[in-house]
Amino acid sequence: MNNKETIYNNRMKLAELLASDISLLSILQRLDIRLGFGEATVKDICNRYGISDKLFLMICNIYSFRDYQPEVEALAEKDIRSIITYLHASHRFYRQVYFPAIHDSIHSLVKELDEVNRKLIDKFYDDYDKEVNNHFDYEEHTVFPYIESLLSNKAEAGIKYNIRQFEHNHSNIGEKLSDLKNIITKYLPEKHSSTLMFNILGDIYNIENDLRKHSLIENKLLVPLVEKLEMSHE
Amino acid sequence: MNKEGKYRIVLIEPSEIVATGIATIINNSPEFKVAHTLSNPSYYNSNDDTDIVIINPTVIDYNERFDIRSYLGCKNAAIVALSHSNYEESVLRQYDECIGIYDNAPRIIQKLKNAIEENSQNPKNDINELSSRERDILAAVAKGKTNKEIADEFNISIYTVISHRRNISQKLGINSIPGLTVYAIMNKLVDISDFG
Repeated sequence: MNNKETIYNNRMKLAELLASDISLLSILQRLDIRLGFGEATVKDICNRYGISDKLFLMICNIYSFRDYQPEVEALAEKDIRSIITYLHASHRFYRQVYFPAIHDSIHSLVKELDEVNRKLIDKFYDDYDKEVNNHFDYEEHTVFPYIESLLSNKAEAGIKYNIRQFEHNHSNIGEKLSDLKNIITKYLPEKHSSTLMFNILGDIYNIENDLRKHSLIENKLLVPLVEKLEMSHE
Repeated sequence: MNKEGKYRIVLIEPSEIVATGIATIINNSPEFKVAHTLSNPSYYNSNDDTDIVIINPTVIDYNERFDIRSYLGCKNAAIVALSHSNYEESVLRQYDECIGIYDNAPRIIQKLKNAIEENSQNPKNDINELSSRERDILAAVAKGKTNKEIADEFNISIYTVISHRRNISQKLGINSIPGLTVYAIMNKLVDISDFG
């Protein structure tokens, strides 16, 4: 897609953006932007909350347009902190809202299964849950503090970590979710409560989608910006 | 086959020059007959008794090119690519053969025969069903064996193991090893007691 085709700009009313794509709501939630903003434009809101409107629009574009390529050159060093704030909040939502919801419904689902299948699904999900938590912990305890140290010029000399490595470690946490979706849709015995299964699939679909955007924000915004910062430190 | 005992071919190619040329070469052969030439795949009727569909992959949207058989809704016919340029291997692998526009007449006819042969060896009635070899390999993967160990056990190359694994994941829609293990146990390809 040509970036010129993206329709969002900073003169648009925030309410219009939401009307065109409701999934943008989760961005507001993570940036702690309160509802009830009336006729405020994107620019007004971003000023009010101290976020760069360019960054805000890039995140919205990543959410709404599949092939969007952000022009990172337009962002500034200080936007890195906003991105990290965003990613922190996003992790918090995954841990406190999304994953517990899936966990609960998987738990109700396995109650209806025979013992073998119950153990299987339980174990598959528990292992996945650990993997995701490890992934988030690694980012929160290793990657983000590293970036913070670069930003505050406190990077310890001699530590030759670089952000590309992080992208490399950034294993595809969406893959197992998609497997789980296919196992539930195609291969579980047919006799369980359909409503429950449809709900689980809907939840998995939403979180899969959100995780995909989350990694795009890391790979297309955070990583290139931090790379630039690393180069300026060399 | 048609009444004259020739294999029926549907040719899907937007260029009239190319379509006419290929059709002339094919119709001069004793074995094959172009029954229809279409400029667009949406005109293709998958219910007729076509033996071979020859299609230029560019007429299909890029995203749909990876599952040509279900795109065409084609159950039994052999599918041959008519290639004006190079395509990714993953696109071409789904075809039974690939004709290049610089191939000469004997070569084109030979490739059509190969396609009929190839297609008859792989009944596509249920393309998502795992073959017995794939089930064996999946069981080995679920037991935690490495590609190297599997290659040795089945006496095949590592490359073949990788290609089987890719096909298994594509058919099942399951990519991770834990996911494949769940499938293997559910379908009793391996016993849960193997896992302690």
